[in-house]
Amino acid sequence: ILDEDALLPAPQNISIISTNMKHFLTWSPVTIQGETVRYSVEFQGEYEREYANESWIPICECSLITATVCNITEDISATVPYNLRVRADVGARRSEWGTLKGFFNRITTYLTPPLMKIVADGYHLLVELEDMGPAFQFCILYWKKGQESRMQQKMVKEISSTLHLDTMEAGTDYCVKAQTYVEAINRSSNFSQMQCVRAQGDRS
Amino acid sequence: NVNEIRSGFTAIKANIQARDPIRTVSILSHPHSLHKIKSSDKCCIIHQLFNFYMDRVFKHCTTEDSYINRKISSIANSFLSIKRKLVQCHNQNDCKCGQESMEKFKQILTNYEGLNVTSAAIKSLGELDILLDWMEKSR
Repeated sequence: ILDEDALLPAPQNISIISTNMKHFLTWSPVTIQGETVRYSVEFQGEYEREYANESWIPICECSLITATVCNITEDISATVPYNLRVRADVGARRSEWGTLKGFFNRITTYLTPPLMKIVADGYHLLVELEDMGPAFQFCILYWKKGQESRMQQKMVKEISSTLHLDTMEAGTDYCVKAQTYVEAINRSSNFSQMQCVRAQGDRS
Repeated sequence: NVNEIRSGFTAIKANIQARDPIRTVSILSHPHSLHKIKSSDKCCIIHQLFNFYMDRVFKHCTTEDSYINRKISSIANSFLSIKRKLVQCHNQNDCKCGQESMEKFKQILTNYEGLNVTSAAIKSLGELDILLDWMEKSR
């Protein structure tokens, strides 16, 4: 903990947490005895570095905030390398900028398998997928249990409440798994766990 | 990326176009529409137009509004991301610009240079949907 007259240190341990195209900048708090420390965040895309005199752009939602996390999703909206920096303010005192080590490119975001629920509605095989935002498409694989070689695929670009996959044979088990696909970064998640259901009626 | 550019532009279109008082002049559409460009020339003209926006438009569009500036940054960085791909396409496909199309592109530069830089840049940015519509039609 620092006394009042010491130079205000720049924020440290600056890092990005990026999951499913949601990106958050975090850092360690700067602690000053009896004072409220506020932080401000700025970003710089490749365009700013190469065409706009290496200018930095403030994120007003993260200007003079007390939290040590900032949602930068709205501003990281291109698949190019970004620089990010944070500084601290206490009253009239201001620290140097602390800068993220290395660039951040959204292409490295961690993609989780989609949450999925399948329903046997009589003879109809239905699937419900979580809405993960406009950037996400889904690849759904489904097959009769035991007939993995005859797997069928359906690409879903826009989420509606429930999706009809197939009309099932009576008393037959069907299995389903799904993965997300993000066109903007041309990457897919791992597949979800397989889920199986049985159609109504008795096998003929 | 084009979808992201379009959503970024849609968010600021009204604000940007409101800053453009000159209603009787167009940068991209005067005297001929982009849609008149031959399909064989599209690869080259898109490449030229991306360079035009990167080199001569975005940098002159800084406003007093932080939100607008952030959206322009998003659009510019998305343009850069696409430009990177266009360069590869340009190199692989030997995108030649026909005489007629180059005249069209020169007309765009003439329209641009007929105004002061800030007005020309703001007007060009305000016409981004004309470019996006033409690009999407070309896909």
